[in-house]
Amino acid sequence: MGMTRVLVSIKLTYDVNQLKFEKDGTPILDACPRVMGEADKCAIEEAVKLKESGKAEEVVALTIGSTKEHQRILRDAYAMGVDKAYMVRLDSDDMATATTIAKIIASFAEKTGPYDIILLGSGASDTHSSVVGPMVASLLGYNLLANADRIEVKDSLVSITSTLEDGQYVVESPLPVVVTVTSEANQPRIPTIRDILRSKKKPIEEIEAADLEADLSRIELVEIKKFEVPRKRIKIDATSNVGEAVDKLIKELENEGVI
Amino acid sequence: MASVIVYADEASTGRQLASAAKSLGDPVLVTLGEDNADALSRYYKRVYLLEDSIFDPLKTYKPIMDVIDKESTSIVLSPCSNKGRMIAGLIAGGKNFNVATDVMKLEHGDEKILVTKLTFGGNAYAKLSMTKPLVACIASGSYKESEPFPEPGEIIRISPGDSSLSVKFTPRRLEGADPTKAEVVVGAGRGLKKKEDLEMIKELASLLGGAWSVTRPLAADYGWADSWIGISGLIISPKLYIAIGISGQPHHTMGVRGSKVIVAINNDESAPIFEEADYGVVGDLYNIVPVLIEKLKQRKK
Repeated sequence: MGMTRVLVSIKLTYDVNQLKFEKDGTPILDACPRVMGEADKCAIEEAVKLKESGKAEEVVALTIGSTKEHQRILRDAYAMGVDKAYMVRLDSDDMATATTIAKIIASFAEKTGPYDIILLGSGASDTHSSVVGPMVASLLGYNLLANADRIEVKDSLVSITSTLEDGQYVVESPLPVVVTVTSEANQPRIPTIRDILRSKKKPIEEIEAADLEADLSRIELVEIKKFEVPRKRIKIDATSNVGEAVDKLIKELENEGVI
Repeated sequence: MASVIVYADEASTGRQLASAAKSLGDPVLVTLGEDNADALSRYYKRVYLLEDSIFDPLKTYKPIMDVIDKESTSIVLSPCSNKGRMIAGLIAGGKNFNVATDVMKLEHGDEKILVTKLTFGGNAYAKLSMTKPLVACIASGSYKESEPFPEPGEIIRISPGDSSLSVKFTPRRLEGADPTKAEVVVGAGRGLKKKEDLEMIKELASLLGGAWSVTRPLAADYGWADSWIGISGLIISPKLYIAIGISGQPHHTMGVRGSKVIVAINNDESAPIFEEADYGVVGDLYNIVPVLIEKLKQRKK
């Protein structure tokens, strides 16, 4: 197990809670802060724990993009304890299709690997498609362990616990494997000032996306607008007269035919 | 007409996805379990029944890849559930298909498919022009349940694919009705001060003949329940959803958008949940819920 190599792929996501829109409904993406996704931090934490417990020899972090902010999340990964960080340079990474992202990750893994375990966040905080991990698995022919709330590695077997629609699954897989990690998996460490200062001196290796075996297809965006939820938004004030408010609510629900 | 393949493992979702498939071609289903095959055969031209009871993503997606070849299809639909997303991703990688999730609408273009989907935590929608072949995860409630065909479709049995995974499954313990199937769901959020207060949530749910559940923090952080409503948990589409003490984070609201009517009870007038609600009751849930329970009891008499 000493030779196990781990790749963790992280994404710079839009902080959707801070997304604002123009009057015509166009999202103002330039003004929206970008951060590392919560589940991605948990993926790094799992990778670093594997290294600390002697179950992994090397942990490599990867992100796709070309901005200073992409470098910043790789520095954060260094501060958390990864051994090596790569940036696959791709302009306007937010306009790359999920297929392109998955192919870049798979091709990167082949070029710099082999890796025994590839970790990703189970879903990005902005797009939350949750399909990139599964795609990387089938592109590489790796097993897939998805939506891991808990991960254990023992004797070349990876075991996860995940909560799906109908219950709890405990799934065990031999290596190599792609594991997607939920934000319930752990409490990611907060790096010390010393770790942060050290991370600033670490090298970030850059690879051009065009040099990887991946077609760089772009999203063909026809329109993007604020989604106005089709709801009635009828307010009922129950701060003073609760009885009256509840009567009104019951009447409305009767009229809707839902009670 | 060309076949459109649907993967669904639950009957209501299967009927919704049949509608989406019909709008694009001949609906063909791949499903797990005899019950689903029987319940859904009237909504599809053909049903491929995968004879495996416990979900293993590898055992499931490999035979779907064979069905794709056999039916020479260029569109595959899957639910926006955790399992549905896994299967969609595995197929997209394995078959070199494009993939879109949280899809509300699919329309035929000449060569391409016009995809309307939610993005940025459900705060925005995007229309994309996508090249076939394509796998699309359809958001719950986007399509109405399909009308049945006069004759049930043929059921074709297929074998699970190879897998070196070992899977142990523990079904979700249900206290009361299943939120994903109930017509009324009552959800509780962080406005609840202690676990014991769930009792009034349960009482309200049972009075309405429905199910109860919680938001992710109550389940994952406090351990008050086994499962939660939200994009990483249960996706619900009841006739009535009552959100109690729930602020309305995108993670949660994306899981309830398919509900017909939404009621929110919250003391913070500016809580985002009110944007998602038909009826927003502003006030202290500890004053409102007991009165609601009392009045519903009187109404029953």
